Amino acid sequence: MTTRGLSLEAEIIAIVKRVSRRPVEPTAASDLELDLGFDSLLRYELIAELEDRFDVSIPLNDIETIRTVAQVREHLDALIKVGSG
Amino acid sequence: MIRTVAQALDDAAAGPGAYVFVDANGAEGSVRFAALRDSALALGGALRARGLEPGDCVALVIPEAAGFLTAFLGASVAGLVPTPLADPVHVGTFGAYLDVIAPLVRAARARAIITTPRLRPLLDALQVSAPTIRFVSAWSELTGPALSAAEPADADAPALFQFTSGSTSQPKGVVLTHANLDANIRAIGGPAGLGLSPDCVGVSWLPLFHDMGLIGLALCALYHGNITVLLSPWAFVKRPVAWLRAITRHRGTISFAPNFAYEMCVRRVKDAELDGLDLSSWRVAGCGAEPIQAGTLEAFAAKFAPVGFRATSFVPAYGLAEHTLAATLAPPGRDLRVDTVRASELAARRRAVPCSSDAPGALRLVGCGRAFPEHALRVVDDRGHPVGERVVGEILVSGPSVMQGYLSAPGATAEVIRDGWCSTGDLGYLAGGELYICGRRKETIIVAGRNYFPQDLEQVVNRVPGVRAGCVAAFAATEPGHPDRAVVVVETQGHTPGDLLQAEVRRRLLQATGLAVHEIVLVPKGTVGRTTSGKLRRVELRERYAAGTLVRTHPRARSPQEVS
Repeated sequence: MTTRGLSLEAEIIAIVKRVSRRPVEPTAASDLELDLGFDSLLRYELIAELEDRFDVSIPLNDIETIRTVAQVREHLDALIKVGSG
Repeated sequence: MIRTVAQALDDAAAGPGAYVFVDANGAEGSVRFAALRDSALALGGALRARGLEPGDCVALVIPEAAGFLTAFLGASVAGLVPTPLADPVHVGTFGAYLDVIAPLVRAARARAIITTPRLRPLLDALQVSAPTIRFVSAWSELTGPALSAAEPADADAPALFQFTSGSTSQPKGVVLTHANLDANIRAIGGPAGLGLSPDCVGVSWLPLFHDMGLIGLALCALYHGNITVLLSPWAFVKRPVAWLRAITRHRGTISFAPNFAYEMCVRRVKDAELDGLDLSSWRVAGCGAEPIQAGTLEAFAAKFAPVGFRATSFVPAYGLAEHTLAATLAPPGRDLRVDTVRASELAARRRAVPCSSDAPGALRLVGCGRAFPEHALRVVDDRGHPVGERVVGEILVSGPSVMQGYLSAPGATAEVIRDGWCSTGDLGYLAGGELYICGRRKETIIVAGRNYFPQDLEQVVNRVPGVRAGCVAAFAATEPGHPDRAVVVVETQGHTPGDLLQAEVRRRLLQATGLAVHEIVLVPKGTVGRTTSGKLRRVELRERYAAGTLVRTHPRARSPQEVS
């Protein structure tokens, strides 16, 4: 679980970094808006990228409530668990 | 004959046209114009039963297209003046949202706010800040006896108040009459425009509070009796391919979007997503509402040619809310017309001197066509005299599409409309009868098709601790043929570390306005100064920024969009 958890986080961070197109290393604590400059267009792009990678569906209403990279991970964790039964 | 919105709806109801609404999850529902007319008469009756009188303004805050159009047309048939406002998701955070729209509601003297059940409790607060408001209701919860027929309206009566941006400092509501809408929509769809017919199929994801979405797609479809498919803007933003899939599925022939949307498709539609797309039906791929980049359109054409897209479908357009919507459209069916000129001559001598595209400093500008029949367009120098071919000046427009004026702002109207000519605030030149846009005199900052006023950004930044209040200037760094980059120059005080201050300014602007600025330039005391007017200060700082002569107290931090 720990290994899987770590690699999930690493993967999320890699995707966040790619979408942000910014020379800043995101961490779990990074705030998408404050630290990484995500506006609403980038936020939706990130969600689409995460959906593709992890084969989940993230409701549109949740998109505005996610603030940090750690919250992205919590959200995904829950969705992946539901998906795998 | 000039038709009012209600008359256009009556005519459309007799034909086969319809709106197809696609919700955020992709579920589709089709509503024939005849059924929409019934819903509009019912809602119009309900609004009248609540005490609204013809000529009263009602503000609309409705994110979903079906509800928005029912309410818009319901207000129209009741003789009311609908005023579309951006919904909260489009404007920073919710707290900031109320501050942004309250001045608009006041300027429009709106008597009611029509919204959705979800937003109604939040919008109730506006009754305090906008005393003209008599009620805030969800469109779906309004009931009353239906009107038997539309309230007759004069062609010169207001049909719509259109706000050009959510500006807290100077809300600019454009007053458009039925005659304005009729003239512009006929010009857009007429034989000299797009040649619309009932067998055209429109596809749009543009928000309906935006004039290109409302007038250019939704109302155009009503006036011309064709089918139009309306997607959620957020479905497009999340997955740009959703737009192209809708065109594929419905054999769409007409769609318009700002440059950034084409750019998003180039960058974000994956090769695997090309499978199943068929864009061969797409006859008019309109592009407007922000500066057009030849490179973006060419890259789009190259990427989507294998799935049937034709580069001759591009219709670059130029327009402004003060001219209802469109001022010029390139003729459909021709190749992109690109004029390659020397940047140095354009800036220094105001001349568009052709050069080869590999010359240093070559600019590639996209031709946007010419003025419509019964309308006129000219390019003038600083004294208002028309200039010759390939000379840069301000673009003026005249004719039946020119607005009546700005809401509650006679001074602002007189500044813009003189002797029947409307100053656009945009710079351009004519070559071979074709209009090329190459800059802006007005201070509006346009990012992703949305307008921002510098005063609003400055007001937000002024309140950030560590910023010297009053010593802030916001402007668009513009380059002909490139998208705007929003820049904020800030004098600092105290000891806040530069990168923290930049992050805080960036965050506050995002929250309050939804805008991600390109660069926040921290400068020493005395750089921005207070002596000159805001306008002169911004012009001067913009020039120094472009020339690279601003002294920075902190090294540049680039915006996410720039580093790729």
